[in-house]
This record gives sequence, structure tokens and C-alpha cells, in this order.
Amino acid sequence: MTIILMIILAAGFLLFSIIKSKKKTVEGLRIARKMLISTFIEVAGVMAIVGLVLAVLPPEVIKQALGGANTALSTFFGALIGTVTIMPAVIAFPLSKSLYVSGAHLVAIAAFLTTLTMVGVATFPIEVKHFGTKFTVIRNSLSFGAALLIALVMGIFL
Amino acid sequence: MRNIIKKFKFIIAAVVLYACFFFLRQDIFWAAVNYTKDFMLEMLQVLPPVLVITALMAVWVPAEAIKKGLGSASGLRGKLLSLLIGSVSAGPIYAAFPAAYMLFKKGASVSNLVIILSSWAVIKVPMLLVEMKFLSIRFMIIRLILTVPAILLMGVLMERLIKRSNIQSADDKDAIIELPNINCGACGYNNCKDFKKAVLNKDKTLEDCVFLKKADNRTGVTV
Repeated sequence: MTIILMIILAAGFLLFSIIKSKKKTVEGLRIARKMLISTFIEVAGVMAIVGLVLAVLPPEVIKQALGGANTALSTFFGALIGTVTIMPAVIAFPLSKSLYVSGAHLVAIAAFLTTLTMVGVATFPIEVKHFGTKFTVIRNSLSFGAALLIALVMGIFL
Repeated sequence: MRNIIKKFKFIIAAVVLYACFFFLRQDIFWAAVNYTKDFMLEMLQVLPPVLVITALMAVWVPAEAIKKGLGSASGLRGKLLSLLIGSVSAGPIYAAFPAAYMLFKKGASVSNLVIILSSWAVIKVPMLLVEMKFLSIRFMIIRLILTVPAILLMGVLMERLIKRSNIQSADDKDAIIELPNINCGACGYNNCKDFKKAVLNKDKTLEDCVFLKKADNRTGVTV
């Protein structure tokens, strides 16, 4: 849904740009093409490797880690698994539900969902390329901590 | 040659790994291909519009406007704007990197950079609906209410921990002139390195870079 909105927005902006100035539009599209190629090269290989990791690591393993007797430990595992994997949300939410049904803690699922998108080992090299090592290390560590904190506070309310 | 290998190292590694699994474990190979197909589809849908918008903004929106709206003096309004930009945008976090980088180079503050990246990753309006459907409305709302202040806090914290000069992309580690290093080619050169040489030779000025154009001295130039 948002993707369609983004495409409409991009098309509208492009139209506006063409009307205003052809030269600037060409300039803009050249920048976009360069960014597209370099981002694709950076991301494609990483995604293929993540796909392989997901194929090797079956959902049963994730279920076991998130459904242990010790909630605190499961939460930590949840955050850890979320950190090392990336999943499209269309896979992540149904998986979370099946994890819950088969006995995983909601708190652990919350930690898993938050680190899944906000902290990334897989996207780490891509982030370093844009923002440098220091920024990337600190941002990911803080996000990991924040995800644990959010999950633990959620434990009080749920 | 070495540069090419470095540039494509993940793709090369992926091809080698996939080849191994193809011969040893076909079931894993095909499962992996399926996941990767999903990733690629997502990427092909998301990246073109996001990058076209980013590039057109780079060309049209002057640095002063971005500095005013998202710079270090923008205060709470800038933070809320960043939160909005992140949560209405589509796509996974890697799509956010080039977009947020452009805004940062044009004057957005470190805290707003972090807020855009984090909210881009976690807060997604349609995803909230999916989360509600599969988990529960209570779960979704509590997670959202806790996530927003956590993101704002992280932004403020990062602003204290990281200096603007700490943030530099891989290519400009030893650059004297701070260039965007997007290698957009709009200046007529193939990459920012060549453009820098031209500036040092006085063939070009920094005004010829679309990213630095009209940027004030603090954000753009440190010659």
C-alpha cells in the first residue's frame, strides 16, 4: 500500500520536475540511477546470504529459543535472533503468531520484532558504507538496548 | 581488479555459497532461492521510487530549507517531522540509508538522522495493521507507545555521542574536501574523487556539486 503511494508521489514529483526544468530533471534522474545501481550492488549479495541463513535456520529453532522456561533469557534470544536475521514483514508477523501459538513468550516476540527491523548484522556493512563505523556501532548497540527495554516494559503491561 | 572484487564481495560470496548448496543440499538451495526472490521483489518495488524522490529532492530542495526544517536548531518540530518522514516511507532500512544520507549532507542534524532511520525501520502504518491482525491491537499499541519515545531518546543520545565529522562514508576517510560521495556524476565527473581533484586544480568549484550547492560553510566545505 505505501509502496503504491510512494510510486505515485515519485511520479508526481517527477512530472513537476519535468515541467519546471528538463535539465534539472535529467540531472536528478542521473543521480537516482547511480544510487540505484550502487545500492543494488551493495544489497543484493547480502540479501541472498540472508536468504540462505533463513533456509538453513528452520522456524523450529527460533521457536525453541523464544519459548524457553526462562522469560528473560528467551527475550534476550529473541532480540539476538532478530539482530542476525532480516525478514520481509509479510513473513515476520505470521511467524510471530505461530511462535506465540506454539508457546513463545510475547515479550520475547516483541524483542524479536523490534530488533528484526531496527538492528542489523546483515545491513551493517551497508550502513558503515554510508555513515562510518562509529555511527553504525553506536546506533545498532543503542537500538539493541532499546529493543530489550521496550520488550521488558511491555512485559509489565501484557 | 581488487576494487571490483571488493565492490562485489557479497555477491561473489553468495554465488559460491549457493553453488555449494546446490550440489550438497538442493532442498536448502531452493528454500533460500525462495526467500531471496521475496527480498529482490521487495527491493525492486521499493528502491526506484524512494531513490527518485531522494534524487529529485537533492536537486530541488535547497540546503537551507532542509537545515531549517531538520537541522540542529529545528527542535521538537524537526524531531516530529523526522518521525513522520520515517514512518510514512516504504521499505526496509537499507532503502533509508541513501535517503537519510542525502538529508544529513544537506544539513539535517545527527539526532534527526537517527530518528529518520529508526522510525523508517520500526514504525510503518500498514505494518501496524498487519501486526494488529496477527498479534493483537493491545500488543501493537503498547509497542508503538513505547517505541516512539525510545526513538526520540536515541536520537538525543546519538547527538551527544557522535560528532558530525564522525559520520563519513567509506570513500571519504582521507578527503580534505567533504564531498557527498554519492558519486552521482552530476558535476560531469565519474565520481567524487575525480571531482575533488578538479576542485583542487581550480577547474571546478564546490558550487558545481548539486549536494553542496548553496550549502553554508559549516555543512559543506572544510578546505
